[in-house]
Amino acid sequence: MTKVIILLTSFLFTGFSLVLLIPIPYNLKYIFHKGADFMILEIKNIRKSFSGTEVLHGVSFSITSGKALGFLGRNGAGKTTTIRILMGLFDANEGEILLDGKPFNPREHSIGYLPEERGLYPKQKILDQLIYFGELRGLSRKKAKENTLYWLEKLGVLEYKDKKLETLSKGNQQKVQIAETLLCDPDIIVLDEPFSGLDPVNSQILKDVINELIDKQKLVIFSSHQMTYVEEFCEEISLINKGDIVLTGNLKSIKKEYGANRIILSAINLNINELQNILFNKVKDIKILESKNDYLIIELINGKTKNELLNDLIGLDIDIEKFSVYEPTLTDIFVQKVGDK
Amino acid sequence: MKSFLTVLKFELFNFLKNKVFKVSTIILCLLVIIGLTIPTIMDAFGKPIFGDKKKEEPSYTESKIRYGILIKEDAIELDDLQSQLPDNELINVKNQDELSNLVISDNITAGFIVNNPTNYEYLVKNTSMDDGNRFTFESALLNLYRSKSLSEKGIDYNEVLEVYNVPMEYETTVLGKDGMKNYLYTYILIFGLYFIVLFYGQLTATSVASEKSNRTMEILVTSTNTKNLIFGKVIAGALAGIIQFGTLILVASITYRLNAQSWNNNLDFIFNIPGNVLATFSIFGILGYLFYLFIYGVIGALVSRTEDVGTSSTPLTIVFIIAFFISMMGLTHPDMFALKVASFIPFTSFMAMFVRVSMGNVSTFQIVLSLLILAVSTIITGIFGAKIYRLGTLMYGNPIKITKAIKMLKDK
Repeated sequence: MTKVIILLTSFLFTGFSLVLLIPIPYNLKYIFHKGADFMILEIKNIRKSFSGTEVLHGVSFSITSGKALGFLGRNGAGKTTTIRILMGLFDANEGEILLDGKPFNPREHSIGYLPEERGLYPKQKILDQLIYFGELRGLSRKKAKENTLYWLEKLGVLEYKDKKLETLSKGNQQKVQIAETLLCDPDIIVLDEPFSGLDPVNSQILKDVINELIDKQKLVIFSSHQMTYVEEFCEEISLINKGDIVLTGNLKSIKKEYGANRIILSAINLNINELQNILFNKVKDIKILESKNDYLIIELINGKTKNELLNDLIGLDIDIEKFSVYEPTLTDIFVQKVGDK
Repeated sequence: MKSFLTVLKFELFNFLKNKVFKVSTIILCLLVIIGLTIPTIMDAFGKPIFGDKKKEEPSYTESKIRYGILIKEDAIELDDLQSQLPDNELINVKNQDELSNLVISDNITAGFIVNNPTNYEYLVKNTSMDDGNRFTFESALLNLYRSKSLSEKGIDYNEVLEVYNVPMEYETTVLGKDGMKNYLYTYILIFGLYFIVLFYGQLTATSVASEKSNRTMEILVTSTNTKNLIFGKVIAGALAGIIQFGTLILVASITYRLNAQSWNNNLDFIFNIPGNVLATFSIFGILGYLFYLFIYGVIGALVSRTEDVGTSSTPLTIVFIIAFFISMMGLTHPDMFALKVASFIPFTSFMAMFVRVSMGNVSTFQIVLSLLILAVSTIITGIFGAKIYRLGTLMYGNPIKITKAIKMLKDK
C-alpha cells in the first residue's frame, strides 16, 4: 500500500513540477479599458504573403470608437486575412497596427470576435462553455457567469442555458455565438457576417444590440455581404479587392462623391425609352449613365448645372415626375468598384 | 497561468465526463477485481490453485494404458518388466500377427517385441508429436537390464540409484537484479504505459481535431495564448490517464490485499516494487507520455476532420509500437545494444531506460543524461507544438504534413 502511495505521489509530483516549468510569459494580466475612452485604430500598409504569394498589398484604413466600420469585399478579397492579422492570428510581413498611436497587441485588449465560421463546442452545455470562454478572456468565474446570463437573456436564449449547443436551431446557435462575443464587454468588436441565419425578428434584436454598442463608444468592425445592414450601421466603410483597399472613408461623403453631378429623372407623360430619346437628341452636355425601370440616371458634364438642365426640360415640355440628386446605394458602389468589368 | 489552469480544468473535466473514459475505467477495474479474486472463488469451490492446505492424494481414475508385449526366446521375464511399468497393463502376446492386429484394432496403445534385453521393436498405429510410449518402455527395459547386469556382478541396483539420485540442497543469493521478479512488474508497468499512451494519444488528437472541425479553435486561439491551450489540453489528458492508471493500481492493490491469502502471497513482489524503480517509472513514464501526447495534439491540429486522425497518427503509432517492442525484448536482454541506444532517444527512452533501470545496471550519469534529453525534448516539443498547433488550426482541408507545417512556420 505504501508503494502505491509512493507511485501516485511521484506521478502527481512529476506532473505538477512540469506544469511549473511551462514557460507562460504572459497572460498574467489582461488590460481592460474601462470603455467610453476615445480610441483610434489604424491599420497601416499591411502586407502579407503565403508561400511566396502576396495576398495583401499594403492594406490601410482606420476606425474610431463610437463608429462602425463596414469592411467589405468579395469572397477571397482578403477580409478574413486582414481580420486575422488584426486579431494576432497571423503576423504581417510588413506594416503596423496602431491603437491611439501605439503598437496594438490584441492580447492586451478586450476584443469580441465573431468569426465568419461559427465555432463553439456542440456537445457542451451552453452556460458551461460560455463561462469557460469568459474565464479564458480574463474574467473571474463569477463575472463570466453573470455576463453570460445577462447576454443570454438579452438575446432571448436564456432558457437554453443548460442545453447542449447542438440541440438548438441555427438562429439560436448564432445568438449564443453573439453572446460569447460580447460577454467580456469588449471595447473592440469584430463581427463577421453577424446576421447570417437570423430571421427578421432576431435581426432586429441584433440591430438594437449593435446600435447600443456604437452608442457606448465601442469600436465596431462589421464585415458583411448584406449591404443594407452595413448602410444601416456604418458611418465608415473600407472596400477591399484582391488585397488592395480600393475605397475607404466616410460613407456619406463617398455616396455624395459618387452621386455628384448625377441626377435621377422620370416623366409622367413619357416612358423611359421616349424620355431617353428626347434627352439624347435634344439636350447637350449630359450623359445617360443608366436606364432603370422607372427612371434614368444622368451625369452632367462640361460644367452643366442642375438649373440649366431643369430649364432645358421645361423647354422640351417634359412633365417631370422625379428630378433629384442621385445618391448611389452601397450595392451600386460595391458593384461599380469591385464587380467584374 | 490563470488561463492555463482554466484550460486545464475545463479539459480535465471533459476527459473525466467522457463516456469512453468512464466505461473503460469501470471495465478495467472490474477485470482487475475479477482476475485477482479468482483464487478466492476457486477456494470457495474447493479447487485451490495455490498451496493445497489439505494435501490430497493423487487419484488415477482413468484406466491403465495397455501395451502388448511379445518376448522372443525368453529374453526377459514379463513379470520383471511389469514391475518396472506399474502404471501399465501388459498383455502377453504369442506372435507378431496377433500383436499387429491388437495394435490396429486399438485394443492396445502400442506393441513391443523384445528380441533380447537390449533390443526391441516398437509397433504403433499412428505416431503423434507427443508419443511417450516408446520412452516409457525403453526406460523400463533399460532399468531391467541395468538391475540384472549389476546384480550379476554382486552390486545392489538400489544402492547405485541412491548414489546417482542424491538430492542437492542449494540456496540462491541474488546480488544484482532478480530478473524473475522484476520481469513481471516491469512488464505490467510497460504494458500499462503502452496502453495509456495509445489511448490518451488518440483521445487528445481527436479532441484537438474536433475543436478544429467545429471551428471552436478560432475562438480559442483569439481568446488565449496557444501555449496555454496545448499545454492545458495535453496535461489534462496526461492527468486523466494518471487518474485512470492510479485508480486501477489502487483497486488492484486493495483487491489483492483482500485476497492475498488465496494467492498464498505469491504476488506480493508486484506490490513491493523498489522505490527507485517506481520513481524512474513515474518520471520517465510521465515525461514520455507528455512527449507523445504533444505530438498527438499537433497531429490533431494538422487534420481538419476527426476521421483523419487515425490515418495521420499511424506513423507515430508505429514508432511508438517499435519503442514498445524494443523495450519488451530488453526485458529478457537488458544488456542488448539496441536497448542502450533506445534509452537515449526521446521516442523510446521513457520505456527503454525504465527497463534498463529495472532489469539491468545503469550508471546514474546515464539516467540523468537520458532524463535531461527527454525533458528538454518534451518541453521543446510542447513549445514547437504550440506554434504548429496555432498554424494548423487555421488551415482547413486536407491533412497537412509535418514537414509542410514546419515550412509554413518559417513563412509565418
